[in-house]
Amino acid sequence: MKKLMFASFIAFWAAVGTLLAMQALTPTPAAADDTEALPEFTLADIAEHDTLESCWMAIEGKVYDFTDYIPEHPTPPFVMEQWCGREATEGMRTKGYGRDHTPAAWAMMEPYLIGTLVD
Amino acid sequence: MRRPMISARLARGLVWALALVPVVFFSIGLGAKDFSSASSILNTLGRLTGVLGLALLLLAAALSARVPGFDQPFGGLTKLWHTHHLFGAAALLMLLAHPLLLALASATHGHQLPVKVLFPPLSDTATWSGWAALLLMMVFLAPSFSFFGSPMYERWKRIHALAGPAIILALVHTFLFSRTMPVNLDTAIWTLFALLGVGAVAWRLIFSRRAGRVTHTIVDVQAVANNVVELTLQPARPERRLNYQAGNFVYMTPLDKSLAAGHGEEHPYTLSSSPTEPNLRIAIKDLGDASRAIQSVTPGTTVKIEGPYGRFFPTSGETSSPELWVAGGIGITPFLARLRHLRALKQAADIHLIYAVQDEARALYADELRELANAIPDTRLTFHYFYKEGPISADFLTTTCPDLDQREVFICGPLPLNKLVQEHLRRIGLPYSRIHTEEFELL
Repeated sequence: MKKLMFASFIAFWAAVGTLLAMQALTPTPAAADDTEALPEFTLADIAEHDTLESCWMAIEGKVYDFTDYIPEHPTPPFVMEQWCGREATEGMRTKGYGRDHTPAAWAMMEPYLIGTLVD
Repeated sequence: MRRPMISARLARGLVWALALVPVVFFSIGLGAKDFSSASSILNTLGRLTGVLGLALLLLAAALSARVPGFDQPFGGLTKLWHTHHLFGAAALLMLLAHPLLLALASATHGHQLPVKVLFPPLSDTATWSGWAALLLMMVFLAPSFSFFGSPMYERWKRIHALAGPAIILALVHTFLFSRTMPVNLDTAIWTLFALLGVGAVAWRLIFSRRAGRVTHTIVDVQAVANNVVELTLQPARPERRLNYQAGNFVYMTPLDKSLAAGHGEEHPYTLSSSPTEPNLRIAIKDLGDASRAIQSVTPGTTVKIEGPYGRFFPTSGETSSPELWVAGGIGITPFLARLRHLRALKQAADIHLIYAVQDEARALYADELRELANAIPDTRLTFHYFYKEGPISADFLTTTCPDLDQREVFICGPLPLNKLVQEHLRRIGLPYSRIHTEEFELL
């Protein structure tokens, strides 16, 4: 029992250490942060993608394509579907009951970024 | 004789089942989506280990309450603590897996995410309170599992008190996320579990410190050997005399600032007296700082007594079937109490006592034991000397006590002896239900 507990304790920190090392050693793709290079969309463009088959959202000035993510989201798909094709910052900030998404959830949006919002 | 064992198993089984209650409600909220991909399965497992880990942690807290009588269905306080210890271990294992599983689950959304999930910005109170709780758990459980060597009892206890803040932080973490179960149920279940855990700790801090402790005065100190004393304790108020059974143990807190160690600290000791005696007797061997200091305590000293605890013997008086007792060193005390009690009740008892000691000089109470064995009809006593015969062998057991397979066996002594005798008995074919042990090494 003592051995099992100690082994788990070490394994835990080894795993955390590995994740941190991976993070530190992986070069960050420079282009991802460069929003200048991203295509620009208007709210009208976004409105064309308002279904589960193609779901875009505008959140805090950026445009995301969440079509592939919706099956992964913890809630049933209709919860996100309501925000497809729209300005969805409110949904992200309130989850519909006044509670913001976690910083981790915000970070998870990055791979789905497809452009910036223009008037 | 068999009933207490079954009820102990039932009591333990019930507490384990209780730990699964939040898991059941969590599972109700799950759908096909939660198992649709490798990452969603990892995420589901991550949340599941969190739910189970918190339930185990809160129940471990509840089991630490130390209410006199509450330990009985579990087969005594030492057995109850064993369950508490297992719950703590299981909770830590679950909660170590919990953040790692959730972090790995996020990897499909970007290879940078596991680290962001584990170490979000400081504003993410929910995640960081979880981290704080987990780190505190590592600290307060490290000595319990001897991560960095065995600690002293009092130091271990002070460190273990960090369990309180850890539990509060773990609850903050859960309530801030509050998506472990269908809404409201979540709050209701965790509030209930939190009350169990917090109630138990409040009991420990308030009741057991005050109302639960009874003042006694040391009226006699007898040197049993050069490193063992027997104290006689008189209750300050006769109406608060302890009601106990032979073989029970108590927590004793000496209030004597002149002691080299242990003033105001509680330590568990076995009662060596018969419950028919007006005063309590406690035999204490020099095993640590506090028990060394108590060797020189003087009559007139005030002590606080809390208890009784333990359920080594199912009954304290008559034997319902023949018994074999194996004692090692200071482990003789519960047996001594029982023999003194049988003598006081003038009862016959079919008992064979094997007392294992290093040599003749270390056989505690040798004369009194011989006298008691002679006086109690059907009771026999055999000494086993390590220096002559080495460790107790299976042969020694079967030759000394040929009908041992007909007997209920009770073992109390140092852990190696305890384990060795249990191994012999298991090989001879005695079922677990017939073997009863009392451990006095609590860590």
